[in-house]
Amino acid sequence: MREYNVVITGVGGQGILTAANLLGWAALQAGYKVRVGEVHGMSQRFGSVIAYVRFGEDVYGAMVPEGKADVILAFEPVEALRYINYLREGGLVIANSNPIPPVQVSMGLATYPSMEEIKRIIEEDFKGRLITLDAEKLALEAGNVITTNVVLIGALTQTPGFPLSAEHVKEVIRLSVPRKAVDVNMKAFELGVKAAKELLGL
Amino acid sequence: MAKVTDIVLWDKPGERVLLLGNHAIARGALEANIAVFAAYPGTPSSELTDTMAAVAEKAGVYVEYSTNEKVAFETALSAAWSGLRAMTAMKHVGLNVAADSFMTVSYMGVEGGFVVMVADDPSMWSSQNEQDTRIYAKFAQVPVLEPSSPHEAKEMTKYAFELSEKFKQMVILRTTTRISHARGDVVLGELPEEIKLGKRKFGKFEKNPERFVDIPAFQRKKHSWVLETIEKIREELSRCQFNWIEGEEKAKVGIIASGLAYSYVKEALSWLGVDDVKILKLGTPFPVPYALLERFFDGLERVLIVEELEPVVEEQVKVWAFDNGIRIPIHGKDHVPRVLEMTTRRAVTAIAKFLGLKTPIDFESIDERYEKVSAIVPPRPPSLCPACPHRNTFYAIRKAAGSKAIFPSDIGCYTLGVLPPLRTVDTTIAMGGSIGVAHGLDVALNGVPGEKETSEKKKIIVATIGDSTFFHTGLPALANAIYNRSNVVIVVLDNLVTAMTGDQPNPGTGDTPHGPGKRILIEDVARALGADFVEVVDPYDIKATYDAMKRAIEVEGVSVVVARRVCALHHVGQMRKRGEKWPIYIVNEDKCTGCKICINAYGCPAIYWDAGKKKAQVNPLMCWGCGGCAQVCPFGAFEVMGDGEP
Repeated sequence: MREYNVVITGVGGQGILTAANLLGWAALQAGYKVRVGEVHGMSQRFGSVIAYVRFGEDVYGAMVPEGKADVILAFEPVEALRYINYLREGGLVIANSNPIPPVQVSMGLATYPSMEEIKRIIEEDFKGRLITLDAEKLALEAGNVITTNVVLIGALTQTPGFPLSAEHVKEVIRLSVPRKAVDVNMKAFELGVKAAKELLGL
Repeated sequence: MAKVTDIVLWDKPGERVLLLGNHAIARGALEANIAVFAAYPGTPSSELTDTMAAVAEKAGVYVEYSTNEKVAFETALSAAWSGLRAMTAMKHVGLNVAADSFMTVSYMGVEGGFVVMVADDPSMWSSQNEQDTRIYAKFAQVPVLEPSSPHEAKEMTKYAFELSEKFKQMVILRTTTRISHARGDVVLGELPEEIKLGKRKFGKFEKNPERFVDIPAFQRKKHSWVLETIEKIREELSRCQFNWIEGEEKAKVGIIASGLAYSYVKEALSWLGVDDVKILKLGTPFPVPYALLERFFDGLERVLIVEELEPVVEEQVKVWAFDNGIRIPIHGKDHVPRVLEMTTRRAVTAIAKFLGLKTPIDFESIDERYEKVSAIVPPRPPSLCPACPHRNTFYAIRKAAGSKAIFPSDIGCYTLGVLPPLRTVDTTIAMGGSIGVAHGLDVALNGVPGEKETSEKKKIIVATIGDSTFFHTGLPALANAIYNRSNVVIVVLDNLVTAMTGDQPNPGTGDTPHGPGKRILIEDVARALGADFVEVVDPYDIKATYDAMKRAIEVEGVSVVVARRVCALHHVGQMRKRGEKWPIYIVNEDKCTGCKICINAYGCPAIYWDAGKKKAQVNPLMCWGCGGCAQVCPFGAFEVMGDGEP
C-alpha cells in the first residue's frame, strides 16, 4: 500500500495524541512504515489540536498534505470543519456530536455554526461524507467518559477501505491500557464499532 | 504500545518500535554510552530531557534539569572536558541564552564527545520566533547534523558523539518540531554494557590553562584552529553516511534537500511521478561537503535547493559554485518559502514550478473553498486550563491595579493571559524579560527616587513571571530592579512545576532526577535580595490575592508577591492516578442573572453561555473544582453538585 492518511482533530485535553499514538503502534505492528505528527506545548492547552497518522511505503513527512486525508476523525464537530481542507474528495469524516463552545463564542465574539451547515460544507463543498456519533454517551455507557477516544477509534476502524482490522487495533489497545481499565476500553471500542456500522449501513 | 521509558532501555537490538523523534534521540544517546546530560526544558526539545531524567538512575547517567540553558551547557561541557560523553538540549531560543559560552567554547574544543541538541520551531508552534540554528553553527564554525526522520535522528546522535570526539569539537544536532514531535519507526541498536548495568561513568580533568582559560593571549592562537578543524570536518563529511547522492545519475536537473526537507522532497517526487532527477541528500547543512557537490553537479544543467527557513545550504552552494566557475542556474528561496515550516505541499509546489509541471492536486481550489469555511469557524486558541491558578491571579491583579496599569509578562502558560477576557499581559519578549521591561517602563514613565526630577503622574506597573522563569533569568533582573530603586510589583506565578513544557521540576519544587535536591523558596530569595515588600498568597483565595496586590501596589519600591498554588493540570493528573475525586460546580439557574461576569471577566473554559436560557452553564467534564467561579459570581450562582471524577 502506498499511503493511508488519517487526520485526528479536537480540543486539547480530549486524548487526541493518545489516540494517534495507539493508531501509530497498530500500523507499525501490522508491518507498515509509520509517521505520526503532533504538536505539544502551548498548542495543547484547550486549544484546537490536530494530529496526523500516516502509514504505507510512500509516507515520509509527518503531516498529511491538504486534500489527501482518507479520513478525518473529529473529537468535536467544529474541529472537523476547521481542518476540512485536509480531506480528499470522497473521504470520510467521523465526528463526535458534542460541541465544546469556545470561550469566544460564549463571550459573543464569534458564533458556532449549526450542524446542518457543517454537514453541508463537508458534503457539498468538500465532497466528503459525514457521520456523527455521541461518543461521550457511548463512553459513559462503557463505564468511563475517559474512553471517548477509544469509542472513536473503534468507529474509525469501520471506515470503508481502512487497512487495519478492527481486531488488530483492539488488541493493541488491550495491551496498551492499564489492566484494570481493559474491560471498559474493550466495551468502548465495541460500542464505537457498532455505532459506525449502523451509521455506515454495514 | 509499551512505555517509552521502558523502550529506550530495551536490550533488543533490531526491534522495530514507534518513537517520537525526541525519544529516538534519547535512545541514541544511551546507545552512545552517554555519561552526563543537562538541560533546561523548552518545546519542542523537552521530551528528550524528560526521557533521560526518567531513565537516569537505571542507566547510570547523571541527568539534571538545570536552571537555564547556559548553565546546562556549561554543566554538560565540563563533563566533555573531563573526557566523558555529554549532551545538552534546548529549544532554538535557548541557544541564545547559552550563546555566550557556546561561541567561545568552539575555540577550546572538547575531549569527550559533546552534542548540543537544539530543537527549532518553524511556524512558531510554541515559540516567539523561528530562528534557524544552522546559522549558529556557521557563526561558531562547528558542524551541525540535521535528521530527516526519527530513526535517522537516533543514528545521527550516535554519530555526533563520534564526530565530536574525532575532531575534539562540539557538534550541534538540530531538529525541528516535525522531527522532535513526529513519531516514526525506529530500529533499536545495541546498548553498551555500562548502560545496561546502570554503571555511572566518572571523568578525569587534565589541567591545561592554555586550552581551558580564555584570556586573549590564549584565544588568539585558537581561532585558526577552529577554521582548520571545520575544513577537516567538511572533508570528513563527504564520506558521512547521512549524506548521499541518489536518483538518476545522468539527469540534467538536480535537487539538494537538507534534513527533513529530504523527506518532503521524496514524497513530492513520488506524488508528481517524477524520477528523472538527481538528489543530493544532506544531513550536514554546515559545513556542506564540497567533494559531494563536485560529484553532484557533474552533468547538471539546473539545480533546486529545498531547505526549511534560512538559505544556509543555498548560500554555501552558491559561493562554492561561483568560486568553481559553475554558472548553471541554482534556485532555492526563490521557489521555497523562507518563512514558516516546510510541508509536502510546499515541496511539491516548488518542485512542480522548477520542473514546469502542474501540481498533482489543485491546491488553490482547496484554498478557495476553505476561505469560506475559515470565515465561519470560531477561533479556538489555547487557553489557561480550568482551575488554573494563574487565571485567579490575573483576575485579582486586574481588579487591584485597574486596566490602565501596565502588565509586562513572561514566557510560560501564563502568556495566554494576553487573550480576552483576562487581557493582563501587555508585553513579553524572552525568558526573564518581564522584570527588565517593568523596570525600564518605570524609568521611562515614572522616574526613580534620587533623580533630579520624576514624573508627577505615576503609572502602576505589575509584572508577572513564572516560578521556573524566575530562576531561569528573572534573578539578575530582580537584583537590577532592586538595586536601581524601581517602583514595580513583581508577581511570581508559582505553580510549583515548569508547567508548559510538561511539569518538570525546578529549584522551587526541589526534586531532581536523582532524588530530593535542595528546595529554594522564591520569597526567601526576594527578601535576601532586599525587596521592599514580600508576601505569599494562595490564588485560589481571590479576595486574599486581591488584598495582597493592593498592599503591594501601595508600597514604594520593589514588591514581590508569590502567588503559590500547584498547576491544575499537574494536580488533576496526580488525582486521577491516585483515584481521587474533586468537586464539580454547576450553575443554579434560579440565581444566575445572566450578567456574564464569569465569562466576560473570568473566562474559565469549563463555563459556557447558554444563549437559549440566557444563563451560564458548566461543562462538568471540564470542571476541575477550583471554585474560582463561585468567588467571582456576585449572585452565588455557582454551587457544588457533589464530587466525582467526571
